[in-house]
Amino acid sequence: MEKLKQKQMEKTLACNHSRRRFLQGLLATGVLATMPSGLLQPLLVEAKDLLNEAEYQIFRNACPRNCYDTCSIKSFVKDGVLQYVEGATESSFTAGGLCVKGNSYARQLYSPDRIKYPMKQIGRGSGNWKRISWDEALETISSKILEIKAKDDNLLGLGLTKYSGNFGITHYGVEGMMSSLGYTTRFVGTPCWPAGIDAQNYDTGSMWCNDPEDMVHSKYIIVWGANPAFCSVHTMKYIYEARERGAKVVVIDPLLTQTAAKADLYLQVAAGEDGALALGMARHLVDKQLVDREFVTRYALGYAEFEAYLKKNITVTWAAEKTGIPAAEIRQLAEEFARADPATIWIGYGMQRHVNGGANVRAIDALVAMTGNIGKTGGGARYGHLQTWGFNYHAMIQDKPAGSKGWLGKGGPMGEFHGASGDQQAKYRDRTVNINKIAQEILDTNDPPVRMLWVACKNVLSQDFDTNKIKRAFEKLELIVAVDLFFNPTVEQADIVLPTVTPFEDWTVNVSYWHYWLSLNEQAVKPLYETKTDIDIAAALSKKMNAKQPGSCTFPQEIDSKQWMEKEFNQGIYDLFGIDSWQQLRQGPVKAKLKSASFPDRKFLTPSTKYEFRSELAAANGHAALPEYKAGRKAYGPLRLLTPHSKFSLHSQFQNLDWMHDFNNEPFVYLHPQTAKSRGIKEGQLVRVFNKIGELSMKAKLTDNVPTDALLMYESWFGRKNNFNVNTLVDDESSDMGAFKTGAPGVAIHDQFADIAKA
Amino acid sequence: MKNQKAFFVDVNRCVGCYTCAMACKNTYQVEPGIAWRNLQSVEDPSFPHRDLAFYSLACNHCEKPACAAACPEKAIYKREKDGAVVIDIDKCTGEKKCITECPYGVPKFNQKTAQAEKCHMCYARQDAGKQPGCVQSCPTGALTLVNLAEKKEGAVSFPPGFKKTDIGPSTRFRLAKVPRIVRRNS
Repeated sequence: MEKLKQKQMEKTLACNHSRRRFLQGLLATGVLATMPSGLLQPLLVEAKDLLNEAEYQIFRNACPRNCYDTCSIKSFVKDGVLQYVEGATESSFTAGGLCVKGNSYARQLYSPDRIKYPMKQIGRGSGNWKRISWDEALETISSKILEIKAKDDNLLGLGLTKYSGNFGITHYGVEGMMSSLGYTTRFVGTPCWPAGIDAQNYDTGSMWCNDPEDMVHSKYIIVWGANPAFCSVHTMKYIYEARERGAKVVVIDPLLTQTAAKADLYLQVAAGEDGALALGMARHLVDKQLVDREFVTRYALGYAEFEAYLKKNITVTWAAEKTGIPAAEIRQLAEEFARADPATIWIGYGMQRHVNGGANVRAIDALVAMTGNIGKTGGGARYGHLQTWGFNYHAMIQDKPAGSKGWLGKGGPMGEFHGASGDQQAKYRDRTVNINKIAQEILDTNDPPVRMLWVACKNVLSQDFDTNKIKRAFEKLELIVAVDLFFNPTVEQADIVLPTVTPFEDWTVNVSYWHYWLSLNEQAVKPLYETKTDIDIAAALSKKMNAKQPGSCTFPQEIDSKQWMEKEFNQGIYDLFGIDSWQQLRQGPVKAKLKSASFPDRKFLTPSTKYEFRSELAAANGHAALPEYKAGRKAYGPLRLLTPHSKFSLHSQFQNLDWMHDFNNEPFVYLHPQTAKSRGIKEGQLVRVFNKIGELSMKAKLTDNVPTDALLMYESWFGRKNNFNVNTLVDDESSDMGAFKTGAPGVAIHDQFADIAKA
Repeated sequence: MKNQKAFFVDVNRCVGCYTCAMACKNTYQVEPGIAWRNLQSVEDPSFPHRDLAFYSLACNHCEKPACAAACPEKAIYKREKDGAVVIDIDKCTGEKKCITECPYGVPKFNQKTAQAEKCHMCYARQDAGKQPGCVQSCPTGALTLVNLAEKKEGAVSFPPGFKKTDIGPSTRFRLAKVPRIVRRNS
């Protein structure tokens, strides 16, 4: 019977078996790696015989992209080929399903567009790539490193920019590789969420969100400046369940987002005026005596001063003027929120990407705190957490070569995961510069200048700010090495590209900054072509360096990536997750044994151990001690330009795949019909969007989802010869906070302005 | 049909994330350029907000499939067990009659195989006790597979923008609600 079914299935799906067997034979002998990629596609990965899972080898993987959901994946492999993927059913969060991006993974792995071999480009941007051997690539790279050291008497001329392309813990081996070479220049900070991290640290001494799964217990949910319907699809089910149990769902956003469309109430706040709204609500709660007196007296510091500030400076009428939301709505919202128990606010990363983003997060935190919603299941000011990230960072922590010289100035490298490494204090340091101002930092940094740039887990030209300035800054660099999967805009400007792996060719371990699950990432298939993991690249470079100059690199020269994955575990992780060994993760992901509420005993990690409405630390770092109103950026153009996430991409990943183009093959600018009419723009027309730093053209779509004074474009790298890049129009203006915990302030990505005209 | 299974599309739960559409491609490694499942944006005064409500659509596994009736090779059959409409690839000669005759534009022509292909309700997965790939992956429970005989509250057969025919498409829909919207005073 099974056989019959199988035959039926094969017939139904037109499986070409002889061809598949032929290709598998090639794969086994390694011949395939040297063949044109066309042969790999698409029949090699046909997943036909789905009748019996026992016929597959099932591996555990994790999506390592910079995403709330960090899905636990089950990979189905047959004959050494990944046939298809599924979400792990063992995780109640992933719950058996991935997203549009995760479901494209087999295509990413077997994409004909992947970078297959080390290559060098004769003339940046020329596209004149020549295949080279790993030996030649490493020879060029190591010679340059030694040349820099000889010229400058230190290695500060070697710069690293790396971010969130792969959050697998072993990928911190890239930082380890840099350390193993000497003191280098590090682009530090994060473009993502630093203003909010600092804000929450001033208020609570940490950043620690409740378990998102406990949102089902919320009676009132405000999703504020977040769009989980695009960016955390797996959280939507908890919001729905809360509503089914009687909760009200409110979305506050400048845009009528997909999440807003699913809410009970949508409030179109003026961009960047979130703080005014929160403070107006807070003032109303004071007037209505709806403040949780027990919380603000027993568990908080400085509430009386905050209340005095509100009474003196804030009125609901003022908040209505600032935000555009009628005063009656603000009053009703505040009262409903305060009377619901528990009530929660999800503070999105979008709403802190402003020059006053940190201040706005503090104002919202205060609203949650004064209603006594912190430390409660179903409550909380939810932003993110790092409670489950206590790995060894074995790959990251490497010794400097003896006699290394470095930077004598202040500061050292930091990132949002800073603190786990226990980096030793030394006389010399790495030189740190702001990751969010990469162009300006390269242009301004001298003595020595950054001569060579290593780019890993990052697509600078797509994701960093002021694209035109970055291109100018890159001209100052003597050698650019990019490690990547695809020929993206950064690789286009590189001298050497090193091919790296997808999660399915890698051993690592992953956790989320949102949910509480831990996932193993096994090597499901052998690395294709000549690709290498980040740590294998580091080992190969070390071998080369030491061959040329013994002792010049401390990174181990032979490594086993599976063993290095194992080395990231420790007893703390085992205890937190209630497992005895990492091997148990082969049975599926596990969840941290934490209470669902953060700060369950209402003990905070602030200097006072209380919730700090008044933060001396904030004051010492140049901010207001209280969560005061901070004005937004002055407009530098007629329309606000908003460039949030697309549902089809994770920053510059996934949208480039041909499969994604089957559903979304063209970028648009979205504007209000009124705005369009005043400029004579019609639906579908080709337009120019321009501001002081750049210009971009695309077609227009008219929609009143966008306010009349704004333009909307989703950030993405489309690939496939499309040069759309929103960061051509986004400058590198800093947000107010971020330097305290991540080493550099964030970026005011949503405080950008532009105009639009017919092309 | 007694045992008709059907896709139930709860437009009110659907967030338009395209997970179902890509899950389908993932399950069968469908050729670039072809989608067996896709989303259609609701364009109707009942939901006047662009690209924020969607119908997730694949084959409707009709009661009287126009594709099967049109196929000169009789390569398309309807399963007794669940009413899934399936193309028998051994019989398909690529004449494209099913493609021109399906009022919902469901069958797609695969240039490489020179044959038609489409959603077959993952009947083999179902036989193995699993949900169709699209249904399993849906993160909000908006797309489910139901027995058509089972009445779903608020279910409609022909929502606005979905072609009305007499061939008995089995897909059922629940329409989206609109939130209360407070726009800025300007």
